[in-house]
Amino acid sequence: MACMWYPIGFTVAANPSSAVVKMDEDGTATLLTGTVETGQGSLTILAQIVAQELGIATDDVVVVSADTDATPMDTGAIASRTTYVTGNAARMAAEKVKLMLFDVAAPMLGVKPHQLEAKDHKIVVKGYPQRNMHIADVANHARVVTGEPPIGSASFNPATVALDPETGQGKPFGTYVYATQIAEVDVDDETGEVEVIRMVASHDCGTPINPMLVEGQVEGGISMGVGFALQEEILFNAQGVQINPNLTNYIMPTSLDMPEIEVDIVDNYDPTGPFGAKGVGEPTLVPTAAAILNAIYNAVGVRITSLPATAEKVFNAIQAKREAEPKQITA
Amino acid sequence: MDKKPTVAEKTVVQEPSILHESVIAPLVSYPIEVVVPKARQQTPAVGQRATRLDGRLHGLGQTGYIDDITFPGMLYAKIKRAGVASARIRSIDTSEAEAMPGVMAVVTGKDVPCNSFGPSLKDQPVLAYERVFHAGDGVAAVAAVTEQIAAEALEKIKIDYEVLTPVLDPLESLKLETPGVHAPSANIYQSKVIKKGDIEKGFAASDHIVEGTFRTQMVEHVPLEPHATIAMWDANGRVTIHSTLGRITLGRADVARTLAIPISRIRIVATIVGGNFGGKNEITTEPVLALLSKKSGRPVKSVFTRPDEFIASTTRHPLIMDYKTGVTKDGRIQARKIRLILDGGAYCSWSETTLGKACILSAGPYNIDNLYAEAHVVYTNKTMTGAMRGFGAPQVCFAYESHMDDIAHLLKMDPLDIRLINAFNEGSLSPTGQTLQSVVVKESLLRAAERFGWHSNGKGSTNGGTNGGAKLLEKENVNGNTVRV
Amino acid sequence: MVTVTININGENRTATVPPETTLLRALRDNFNLPGSKLGCDVGDCGACTVIVDGKPINSCLMLAAQADGRKVLTIEGLASMNGVHPLQRAFEDCASLQCGFCGPGVIMSAKALIDENPDPTIPQIRDALGGNLCRCTGYVKMIEAIQIAARVMRGETAEVNR
Repeated sequence: MACMWYPIGFTVAANPSSAVVKMDEDGTATLLTGTVETGQGSLTILAQIVAQELGIATDDVVVVSADTDATPMDTGAIASRTTYVTGNAARMAAEKVKLMLFDVAAPMLGVKPHQLEAKDHKIVVKGYPQRNMHIADVANHARVVTGEPPIGSASFNPATVALDPETGQGKPFGTYVYATQIAEVDVDDETGEVEVIRMVASHDCGTPINPMLVEGQVEGGISMGVGFALQEEILFNAQGVQINPNLTNYIMPTSLDMPEIEVDIVDNYDPTGPFGAKGVGEPTLVPTAAAILNAIYNAVGVRITSLPATAEKVFNAIQAKREAEPKQITA
Repeated sequence: MDKKPTVAEKTVVQEPSILHESVIAPLVSYPIEVVVPKARQQTPAVGQRATRLDGRLHGLGQTGYIDDITFPGMLYAKIKRAGVASARIRSIDTSEAEAMPGVMAVVTGKDVPCNSFGPSLKDQPVLAYERVFHAGDGVAAVAAVTEQIAAEALEKIKIDYEVLTPVLDPLESLKLETPGVHAPSANIYQSKVIKKGDIEKGFAASDHIVEGTFRTQMVEHVPLEPHATIAMWDANGRVTIHSTLGRITLGRADVARTLAIPISRIRIVATIVGGNFGGKNEITTEPVLALLSKKSGRPVKSVFTRPDEFIASTTRHPLIMDYKTGVTKDGRIQARKIRLILDGGAYCSWSETTLGKACILSAGPYNIDNLYAEAHVVYTNKTMTGAMRGFGAPQVCFAYESHMDDIAHLLKMDPLDIRLINAFNEGSLSPTGQTLQSVVVKESLLRAAERFGWHSNGKGSTNGGTNGGAKLLEKENVNGNTVRV
Repeated sequence: MVTVTININGENRTATVPPETTLLRALRDNFNLPGSKLGCDVGDCGACTVIVDGKPINSCLMLAAQADGRKVLTIEGLASMNGVHPLQRAFEDCASLQCGFCGPGVIMSAKALIDENPDPTIPQIRDALGGNLCRCTGYVKMIEAIQIAARVMRGETAEVNR
């Protein structure tokens, strides 16, 4: 078993994101973001956040990203910050679009803008769901009648306080996530080989914007953690030159090395995140090695203090323990 | 004066015909079904198991990565690696390579307008010049009409090294008498301290003191897509760089610095990146490719080989972690003292962030009133360490959670219970004095334990009854011991 | 230079290439099929997996000349007039791919498995993917998608539904 905490965003240093959202006259929207999709699914998450704010569906949002000529500033795909920081910027930019739509819709619905909400592709009078306009009609009216095509931009940077250089006291991060992973291992005491059979991973990410993608992050993080715990190591010769710089001799987890994984998402809501979301990218691998090494300890009573816990290391530790212990008569 | 052949004097090499378009065109000649999965069409959008926006193209093999992009007249670049960990460069002779048919441009460190960059300390050269700091340093680059000619040209570049004794062990590097990797700069290039309460008082109030030292290794990110770059310098003096960068904003500023041109003259396009994990968070070959493009007047592409990926990109910091914890007999942590030594490799890269996060997180998600944590990162002549998923957190978590189980074992407590006793609550103060919000560490512990079937002999008061931890649930197994922990 | 004629995705294609050209390079550079990826070029990662005469192979380890006269199926040949292949659909619906770079190779390995064994067990699926490295997903959602696709292909369920 191992639990952990992990922060979202940079340590004190400003790590802002900007975002631009615009809506076309049919009620579909475009998000411009300077972050980069590196596989996490962050663009899907950002589309969901913008869609939520505007009361439309994920598929109604197109995301333009990763081009410095076309997209606004973003600190990038790093530090588990995209959902939280870029997500906040995207939500705030979408909110500005929404407020423009409210201004256009309010006189037509005979209410004040603050009495409106956006949901299910409609601009609706709060408490009176029958009094509504389709969002496409409002967006079209904004473009062709009032001449105010809906567009919004916003920036977000987590609130931090610099650390005191002497004591390290301060507020380095906007928020943190928490997690526990528990491993079940099979240790072959004749060879020292460790097989991870099962991992239960209970993770906090604030509100999961997309549970399927959260699961994907956890499963992938665990695979990286299994490699860190048991297999992977860059080796150098005495002259300081790497001796295994290839995937033949640098061993990383394959499908055969993966345990059965059960992902559990802890209910949570962070008031500083977009719709309560925090992040999940990096933390998924943080407790994995510790959980596996503690499982090895419980299985065979040896504490491996240096990673990776290769079969050789585990075997030697088991041997050393046997030699140190008085002989026991087995039943 | 050394005479260089002009391009016109060289034998013309038949260039490979470019068959594919400059961008990926749909490659199928049948109608693609437009079926949008339901979750993407539903409102409210948040909370839906929406399929990924890129999922369809991924499955069809139609996602356009950098290596799938080709431009007319494009050259291929290769970079020569030092192959020695520490050396003085006496001379670099590129004349033979430049004379080769098909070679269109060669650059070395002297061609780089500002040959240093880095996310915090600017200690990393674009191409090593005068000094080599690790074996993966690039020393020269070639652009040629084919990849093979570029590779052959690298062999013709002659470099005379005065090989120096490398500093490889971080604990050696710490010592004052060890020569500075980047002399006159000290080998310890950054440090961090966190102090809270009074550890001596805390240790005095403890029933037991537990100590441990833990070490972690250097690992590589291994994104399946190797680093790839295409640079095109146009006649307006503007350079467009397609790059596998996860941080285009930072990348653009770094490229501007190294090329000594305004940021607005640079466009970086990252399309989609085939795996990052922190390894693609800073520039690598972008300025080199830009210079080769400027020199040759052609688009230039390079893709890291898998060995390049290991030796010339960043890796995870190895850590040496000393822990000392004072605890009462009922399992309450009274004081903790931590020292972390990070092997920074040859350059700072993202060490500042890694050092900071490792130090702040090193005590674990526990309420500890008396804490002293110090962390130091040192230079060695090894592959540079930088950003990697978790920034030092997986390393310190391995230490603090192993240490926690050692304490539980000593006290004959259930590992779950000792964690529950000490874990943060809503509103707990972090080691830096920050009031924590939305804290669910105990919830995650309890939920994971329940889901797993963790067998505990009661909550919080197990020091009398258990056999030193969880009950062992042994499965039938000839050689092994299957145990749930 | 050697001239090769390969049946690629049902069409006979011809190219003249240097003899050392691998099938992977020929597919990508000569036949305009960049779906197969170059991840290591030495047969370790499986990103270049294609099916040659029914067997999954690393196309970086086969010369184009060795593929002369043989039948090659690449990721681009998997979808048809009837729509995307059930594997492609299942991989999309389960979000089985993240960065996607290993995806074409993984899907081709899975296709070769299901062609040979329409009802593979999880250990058999793990075995079949043993040569395909993925750093993003932990393989979990790939295995799930392959099971779903196999079910669809056996006609047990019409829709790829979670």
